[in-house]
Amino acid sequence: MKNSTNEMIKRVRFHGRGGQGMKTASRIVGTASFLEGFFVQDCPLYGAERRGAPMVAFTRLSKEPILERGLIVSPDINIIADETLLGDKNANVFQGIWEGTVTIVNTHYPASHVRNVHGIVGEIVTLDVTEIALNVIGESVLSSTAAAVVCKLTGVISESSLEKAVTRELSSINLKKETIQKNVQAALICFDRIPEAHPHYFEPIKEDKKDEIVKLEYADACLGSPSVYAKGSTKLKKTGNWRLFRPVIDHEKCSRCYTCFVYCPHSCISIDGDGYPQIDYDNCKGCLTCFYECPKKVISKDREVKAW
Amino acid sequence: MSMKNAAYKKFKDISREEHISPGTALCTGCGGLLALRLAYKVLGENVVIVNAAGCFTLLSVYPYSPFSSSWMYTAMACAPAGAQGIRDALDILIKKGKLKSEENLKVVVLTGDGAANDIGLQSTSAAIYRGLDFYYFCYDNEAYSNTGFQMSSATPYGSRTATSLPGEINPQGTVQRKKDLFEIWRAHKPPYLATVSPSHPVDLSNKFEKASKFEGPKLFIALSPCPPGWSFDASNSVNIARLAVQTGIWPLKEAVYGEVKHTVIPKFKPVEEYLRTQNRYDHLFNPVKQVDVIDNIKKDVEQYWERYLDS
Repeated sequence: MKNSTNEMIKRVRFHGRGGQGMKTASRIVGTASFLEGFFVQDCPLYGAERRGAPMVAFTRLSKEPILERGLIVSPDINIIADETLLGDKNANVFQGIWEGTVTIVNTHYPASHVRNVHGIVGEIVTLDVTEIALNVIGESVLSSTAAAVVCKLTGVISESSLEKAVTRELSSINLKKETIQKNVQAALICFDRIPEAHPHYFEPIKEDKKDEIVKLEYADACLGSPSVYAKGSTKLKKTGNWRLFRPVIDHEKCSRCYTCFVYCPHSCISIDGDGYPQIDYDNCKGCLTCFYECPKKVISKDREVKAW
Repeated sequence: MSMKNAAYKKFKDISREEHISPGTALCTGCGGLLALRLAYKVLGENVVIVNAAGCFTLLSVYPYSPFSSSWMYTAMACAPAGAQGIRDALDILIKKGKLKSEENLKVVVLTGDGAANDIGLQSTSAAIYRGLDFYYFCYDNEAYSNTGFQMSSATPYGSRTATSLPGEINPQGTVQRKKDLFEIWRAHKPPYLATVSPSHPVDLSNKFEKASKFEGPKLFIALSPCPPGWSFDASNSVNIARLAVQTGIWPLKEAVYGEVKHTVIPKFKPVEEYLRTQNRYDHLFNPVKQVDVIDNIKKDVEQYWERYLDS
């Protein structure tokens, strides 16, 4: 691997959930950097899972051709677009962060709160990107807003390159003109809301300095095997943190018609002893089928902001 | 099916027991999962699923399983062959007295439309031909959704997939008509064959109940609205499935030894109401309305129903 100590190279890692737009965000940052004249590389990484499941994407930008490949273990900018991933051991969002990393968390909490709870090193920036997306775009797709946050933090990408990149990338996935305009608008708001980044984290590190082999902790086989043989063990996975909105049933007004129970695709609504539906919030993914199908409209939806 | 004799008449008749646990890796609001969950409530616990590769193989990702019953994973082409092997093994165990007949299992093939219409059509035909005693549940999301929504032969005319994008030469997106899998299967005259929709849980439950009375192949095609593939909000699966039935696009029907009967006669809402709910049809309305393509879709629906409503 080429020792890239002397040229400016930036490594950006995006953490999000499938469907949130992190793959597109990594592409927008890539395109914006390219428009600024940098060499760029971007790629997403999915597991065998889909919409709602944790995923990662990467962008590298450099003044020289980039010879590095693969995952970014020690990011310079680490964006966590879904705050519920912070506590998710499998997502491992803090892997390889160092003093020079700027971590951006999409949350309404202040940066100090994130630092106190998670004790992470490096710079922390927080911004409620979802709120901006909901207000301006009308849905919680974070591709352009997250990209804008990253572009600003690189300190080397201009507003006009960001704007062009958002338009170009979103046009290529056949979005409507008005949707793209809203995305540009939201992106520019995010761009302005992020304070200028500190220059010292530009300092590149040699990735070979660190031991990059991931060591798995020892676990006794007995701990895992009962779960494998248990019936219906997926409920241990607790997919409740996929949720953006929480359906809440007003039991006072509920007529016990069973509609929400019958139509819940994820088996998350059960009927209690008195015939009332109860939601399994540990696993409800927040599809809101119940909210839309309830004939009496006694189910409301609350924005999930205290997931962790 | 006359409601008078039906086992299920209202939502309260539907079992409260769940056989698919929450926490699966499937997409939020998956319409196919809802159809399977409702079907499972009728099938019960004594089931072995033979799952061809597709979205639903992600239901069971080691070391987790959402099922209260057994599950086997096969390649896309050979789920019915796998079902034959399991059926034979169960029959032999029962014959030898090693398995009590009350512990017998229902063998259920679970595949997407890609395996059912394209890759596994041959082995399905062979299994029906041999009269294999099994269920076949096809969740039809009208494309290869698991790999990024590429076109399958179940993809409807005029819709957009990743491999049939609307362009200058083919502004309608998908040029081909959806393959009529129901008719292909019906040509084999299996004991029971039906289409179902997650929007009609009572109809679905009655069909599975009725199928259980037959020995031999019992086949189902379930309309499975796919939020990421069809491009609509996750809360809308049931509504879209309902519109597919109400517009006449998705006929709910059954065939007993090849004799077709429609179980729901829709009031025929305009097909546009259905098309407009999904972005995979957006190019038919924006930037200019493709009236000819929409008319073709309308005509197809009309011609289909004329055949059945006249006779």
